Amino acid sequence: MNKTLLLFLFICMKSFSQNTEYIERQGEVTFFSYTSVENIQAKNSQTLSILNPKTRQIAVQILMRAFVFQKSLMHEHFNASYIESDLYPKATFEGEIENFNANDALQTKLIKGTFTLRNISKPIEIKATISKADNSYTIKGSLDVLINDYNIKVPALLSPNISKKIEITFNFNYAPYEN
Amino acid sequence: MKIKSLRLILLLGLPFYTTGQSLLDKLEKEPIDTVANVLGTFQGTRISIGHSVETRKKNTLEVSFMSRYWNVEQESSNSFIADRMCARFGLDYGISDKLTVGAGVGVPNGIFDGYFKYRLAQQKTDNSGIPFGITLVQAGTYRTRRIIGIERRDDFGDKLASTTQLLIARKFTRNFSFQISPTFVHRTSSISSLDDPNHFAVGFGGRYKVSNHVSIVSEYYYVANPLESVETFGAFSLGTNWQVKNLLLQFKMTNNQIFTEDGFITQTTRNFNTRDGNFFFGFHATYHIQL
Repeated sequence: MNKTLLLFLFICMKSFSQNTEYIERQGEVTFFSYTSVENIQAKNSQTLSILNPKTRQIAVQILMRAFVFQKSLMHEHFNASYIESDLYPKATFEGEIENFNANDALQTKLIKGTFTLRNISKPIEIKATISKADNSYTIKGSLDVLINDYNIKVPALLSPNISKKIEITFNFNYAPYEN
Repeated sequence: MKIKSLRLILLLGLPFYTTGQSLLDKLEKEPIDTVANVLGTFQGTRISIGHSVETRKKNTLEVSFMSRYWNVEQESSNSFIADRMCARFGLDYGISDKLTVGAGVGVPNGIFDGYFKYRLAQQKTDNSGIPFGITLVQAGTYRTRRIIGIERRDDFGDKLASTTQLLIARKFTRNFSFQISPTFVHRTSSISSLDDPNHFAVGFGGRYKVSNHVSIVSEYYYVANPLESVETFGAFSLGTNWQVKNLLLQFKMTNNQIFTEDGFITQTTRNFNTRDGNFFFGFHATYHIQL
């Protein structure tokens, strides 16, 4: 009896603690590949992210099909030949913001975590700017990803067109998570 | 008792331990639209010789060069590489993601052709809806020159033909796609009263991807009521498609020299083999331009 009560109490506590989370459903993630031959850019405006200022935890989920390119053929090749989004539909990140202060209006912090792309997980560090408004947070930043790290194969013929290092920028606006 | 309390501690500790995990799990539960159309059932708007279920995206233009090379039988010629060649220059334009129109001209056979194709249904990534993609193709041709001489050539109206195809294709695995194409061909005139101006045919086409950029393709067309005045065979093609960025290169071995549907489906007079006269080497190059 005592134990069930304790468990009940615990579940209540846990659901209470969930109210401190913040969510972003239309986060922007853009990537750039700069080479002397060609610049490739694509933008995803449907990125999901969740932030818990109390535990300093952050998680991101990127739907690979949702990247929009200027050229439709690039979208097709990106999904079919490089990212293989039929096999690996999502990229994810989860990590922790180091020394994060939930009440600071503006702060630049390091986010350490694991980025998973094409089922390959690598530890990464991202320098991000975090600002707080009334009841929302904004996190902006950028990072570089090496395509070799995630086993993205580029045919030798096309290697001048696709950069070895892809620059990714993101901009997330979080609102309270309503469960 | 000891085990019970241990279990309780574990139970209490577990939610703390899994908080990091649960953030991603929560995102996993978010209702996002992951259902999409299956991409790349085939690489180009043609499987090998005939139309594929694929259309081009809105505001894209494709410039294509199609060619066939062959030797004339029983001739020890001095020709460079091949005795004869035939080509078609074409343009394909995506009016919308579902509607593509195209036109082309053949040299030296002088066939002018135009077509439109419209996607009636698309296969979905989650297998909801119908399990295949359906595209309607309507093509028309005008022959300025005699080719195998089965149509009357008195006035303009005699030299036309139309082809209607319903392309039904399914991407079975990420590498393998198959298409069945019920086809109706109508020719406006026939010299011989034996020849029916209407033909019913069905095409079979397959693609197997051997790498992300290279695939092997094959096609065969069966005609239910072939021409009676000349012996014809089903059009066959075996080839490979190679995608190099904006350029799609298609190499093939086939038994016909004509690029338009009514021509190769109903008027292929050679059976497929590698003897001179029967063997046609084909090369298509399609350049993709985003407008």
